[in-house]
Amino acid sequence: MKQLLALQARVLGALVLRETRATFGTSRLGYLWAILTPAAGVALLVWVFGAAGRQPPFGSSLALFFATGLLTLEFFRKLSSSLMSTFDANKALLTYPVIKETDTLAARLILISTTYLLIMVVFYSTLIAFGLADFPHRPGQALAAFLATALIGFGFGTMNAVIISMWDSWRFVEQILTRPLLVISGVFYIPSRLPSEAINVLKWNPVLHLVEWFRVGYYPNYDSFVLDRSFVLGLGLALVLLGLAGERLYRKKRV
Amino acid sequence: MVELIDISKTYSLRGIRKVIFSGFNFRFQAGRNIAIMGPNGVGKSTLLRMVAGTEPPDAGRIVRHARVSWPLGFAGGFNGSMTGLENVRFVSRIYGQDTERVIEYVEAFSELGKSMRLPIKTYSSGMKARLAFGLSMAVDFDCYLIDEITAVGDANFRRKSKEALEQKLDHARIIMVSHSMETIKSYCDCGLLLSPGGLSYHDDIESLLSAYKAGCA
Repeated sequence: MKQLLALQARVLGALVLRETRATFGTSRLGYLWAILTPAAGVALLVWVFGAAGRQPPFGSSLALFFATGLLTLEFFRKLSSSLMSTFDANKALLTYPVIKETDTLAARLILISTTYLLIMVVFYSTLIAFGLADFPHRPGQALAAFLATALIGFGFGTMNAVIISMWDSWRFVEQILTRPLLVISGVFYIPSRLPSEAINVLKWNPVLHLVEWFRVGYYPNYDSFVLDRSFVLGLGLALVLLGLAGERLYRKKRV
Repeated sequence: MVELIDISKTYSLRGIRKVIFSGFNFRFQAGRNIAIMGPNGVGKSTLLRMVAGTEPPDAGRIVRHARVSWPLGFAGGFNGSMTGLENVRFVSRIYGQDTERVIEYVEAFSELGKSMRLPIKTYSSGMKARLAFGLSMAVDFDCYLIDEITAVGDANFRRKSKEALEQKLDHARIIMVSHSMETIKSYCDCGLLLSPGGLSYHDDIESLLSAYKAGCA
């Protein structure tokens, strides 16, 4: 048992190092870019909306409000899209019997989650340093929201990877399905203030709940009528379970 | 060394079903060097991959009592955009080897020199072969699985690979797929003959080779 754990740790460690190299390129600046790109995205949005004279929908900082939405969404998207292509990208690795496909999924989960944790720490620290934000009011809740995002992203990505391995065109369907996320996930507005007809539809979008959850953790007085933690966790666990079961059942078909 | 219990394996692609094994039982005995021979397409490489664990059988169990290598070949398993050195490091990490020792061995064996620091995609097939074979010889296994490996490369490389493999045979065993009767004869002492008609095990190598010859004629 101890040997197995050591093997698992070794394989995951080696895979994460390898993925880091493959994802962020060989230049030393590669990883820095990975951190700067999402930050630059938020900065650009803030600048555009700021120039248009828009007031922050909540709190006093436009940057903080957009960041809480956008970084959560980006984390989810990056994780699920990277997991989706795992099986294709790592076919050659299966030459080595000690590596299982679930290891390659776990390695990407670890790498992307760590990267986004770092991105968020750097980004929010910068906002705090410039006086554009306070410290998160309920850090535990913010962290829980982050972990829930990892859960949903992992489940969704694994499910998609399994579906794509059986039906390649699914990747286009997935693109269409996830395209509206930027608009329907509450990045630019406060979902609780929408008319109830809209809420009734949008509340089926788990990313909206993740954004809400993170804001509840960050802001001292952000009340969400929409947030349903058990929906998020239930859906996340169901997706992970289905995804991993699908991976196991269809493993033979993929070889 | 490795036991196959009630193995079944079928491939189906575009509606064409091909049964490779059905209810196959076999024990690769410890202490023997075992050949796997047969015409193309009967499932020799599939068998080797199942023994290695890179391909699951449809049904049945495979029990390994020894540390079995990955199926050694001349490419595969390398990431083209990573350098030779990075690939070597990766494999020695997953197998829990002393990375520095493995690198030293592979550098000496492959004679790639500075090319070790270049991405694999810039390598010629000969260079890739030297790296792959050197790497597989650097990692210690009880049983090496070899898929048609001895007939590639220039004379110098072939001599070196032969020496390295013979050195391994002091304390490890091999399971080898090959069409070359000469190669089989020099490495193996018993073997499994796969043919569309069925499978047969031959406890001595001469009987295997004559059955193989008879089957091909």
